[in-house]
Amino acid sequence: MVFDEIYKAYWNKVFRICMGYVNNHDWAKDIAQDTFINIWQQLPKFRQESAIGTWIFRIASNNCLRQIERQNRMPRTEMPEQLAEAIEPNREPQVQFLYKCIAELPETDRLIISLELEDIKQAEIAQIMGLTESNIRVRIHRIKEKLTKKFENYEQ
Amino acid sequence: MSSEIDFKALWNQEGSKDIPDLQQLLKRAANLRRTARIRVILQSVVLSVVIALMLYVGFTYNHIQLTTVIGLVLMLAALVSYLVTSGQLLPMLFKSNIDGSSQEYLTQLIRIKRKHEFLDKVMINVYFGLLASGLFLFMLQSAIILGTVKAVAYYTVIFICLTACYIYSKTQEVKKAIKSLTDTIKKLEAVDEQMREN
Repeated sequence: MVFDEIYKAYWNKVFRICMGYVNNHDWAKDIAQDTFINIWQQLPKFRQESAIGTWIFRIASNNCLRQIERQNRMPRTEMPEQLAEAIEPNREPQVQFLYKCIAELPETDRLIISLELEDIKQAEIAQIMGLTESNIRVRIHRIKEKLTKKFENYEQ
Repeated sequence: MSSEIDFKALWNQEGSKDIPDLQQLLKRAANLRRTARIRVILQSVVLSVVIALMLYVGFTYNHIQLTTVIGLVLMLAALVSYLVTSGQLLPMLFKSNIDGSSQEYLTQLIRIKRKHEFLDKVMINVYFGLLASGLFLFMLQSAIILGTVKAVAYYTVIFICLTACYIYSKTQEVKKAIKSLTDTIKKLEAVDEQMREN
């Protein structure tokens, strides 16, 4: 698979995972761009030991985790979040609420549920995160319970 | 709303309508690579020139004494430690593997940040220690010829400059950077802890 095909096929998937992690359009776009730069740089070294998707999502997840460093360098109040949210008024309220709830979860849970909602197999999520499949299954169940409760409260 | 399918349906409604232009992205990637390459080349050139200059001074010195040689070596060591401390060599020394699993990546990040913290906290003192003792020994041979008054003045000026630099290196700005690094390590360790929870 050549880079431009990967780019077209995976941009929105990678973007959504980044969006689930930070819930900010501009920031998520930055992370997604960094991810594709990494993919472009690493592609010649890709040895097909795993599926291309698993490899791409591993890079995307790790780029999300790298944001911990950026968050510490730039406090959250200085982030362009309010501004970015104001520019995106066309999002469905429920979609906004889902991404908000996900972004409030602990970092690893954000990644796990984002990958699950992106329809990635649990065995692959386990490979991406470096955890066991049973651990992933339990976590997904717990996260979905949390989200369901939040949605129930939201709808009332 | 609470069913899995609904979550997935909502999830998939999100998307970036304006996918960045691929050519622009590749241009940015190529620029990043070029900048990194230029930085490495520049560092190597500067380091080589300084080392060559120091060696030239050492070799052309008439009747070079052991103290001068040791001084040169110490200053050279200070220079190398400075390059490492300033973080410019870190990416090359401790390359992280972005396509590993998240757990591996986190462990790597924590290891790198801990090394960085150690370099920032400890190596700055090592740098000034090496530089001050290196300068002291290097100047000894010529100071003896100068006579007591001139030699004292010579040493005083140099060490006032060094002290000023040392005090500057301990300013609030640097302390803030070190605190930010410590906070990053704590946060990374907390995420690592999340990974280990069942």
